[in-house]
Amino acid sequence: MQTSLPSSSSSPDKPGMKHECGHRADCLKMIQLIVDGEATEQQLARLKDNLETCRPCIEMYHLEREVKELLTKRMEKRCCPDQLIETIKSKILTFS
Amino acid sequence: MANIPEVMSDTPTRDDDQTQQPDSQQPAAETPARSSYTDQQKYQVFNKEFMPHIDSMYNFAFRLTMDEDDANDLVQDTYLKAFRFISSFEQGTNAKAWLFRILKNSFINDYRKKSKEPAKVDYQDVETTYNSEDAEAEHTVDLRAETVSDLIGDEVATALNSLPVDFRTVIILCDIEGFTYEEMAKILDIPIGTVRSRLHRARNLLKEKLRDYASSMGYDEESDE
Repeated sequence: MQTSLPSSSSSPDKPGMKHECGHRADCLKMIQLIVDGEATEQQLARLKDNLETCRPCIEMYHLEREVKELLTKRMEKRCCPDQLIETIKSKILTFS
Repeated sequence: MANIPEVMSDTPTRDDDQTQQPDSQQPAAETPARSSYTDQQKYQVFNKEFMPHIDSMYNFAFRLTMDEDDANDLVQDTYLKAFRFISSFEQGTNAKAWLFRILKNSFINDYRKKSKEPAKVDYQDVETTYNSEDAEAEHTVDLRAETVSDLIGDEVATALNSLPVDFRTVIILCDIEGFTYEEMAKILDIPIGTVRSRLHRARNLLKEKLRDYASSMGYDEESDE
């Protein structure tokens, strides 16, 4: 779904590119839905339009994706200590 | 679910994950729920459906409590509770969301008071602030994608930990654990619209923290304008 979206926020501007966005807050909400994979087809189409014509939207889109990726991929995942697994398993055996 | 007296209020019920239920398996509301599995089946369900999620559960507990001992206690309590109320879990439904919901409720009931909340910000305050019209105007944080890509996990963890717990929770569930909005709504007992707006505010707060952090570290010196 993201293949046709611009791959870099610093790609050269096309002619007619807007440098001001009149509804950033609304666009940002829509961008987050898209980044989360929760957008409707309609929202997706609208954003695709924006990403071709609106510089602030392109930048917001890249920022949201970057922040999400940071959380998804770069945070350390804590694993459950083996000791705790053993404790839980032995406790439930004495339950019934 | 509010009309099932035998089940603790913080324990998810079958209704949460499936609207239509096989009638033969469904315990009547007055019947003690545990009658539907034999002991052997309980252990089977527990090992097959619940234990595979223990690392995610521990990670969630640790991100909520920010303390290893508390995370241990929270995960243990949650799994014991899950076992005790195993009959209100229907096999084949979303075990991970079911478990996360129990853990979240246990955290709110038992741990939240004693957990080390870094920011003494009341969620309601923050929500009110962010609902105001002023907040709409400055909703976009001046932070560049390139700056974010220079940050490392520890720095994000610090920023995340500094958020009020309700905001931290939606980010963990969505971005770290990959739940859908619908699953999050069930885990948190809030409407999807609230999931969406809370997530939106949480991310704005997180970006502010990241921006502050990046500028204090001089990551953002190369300003574009």
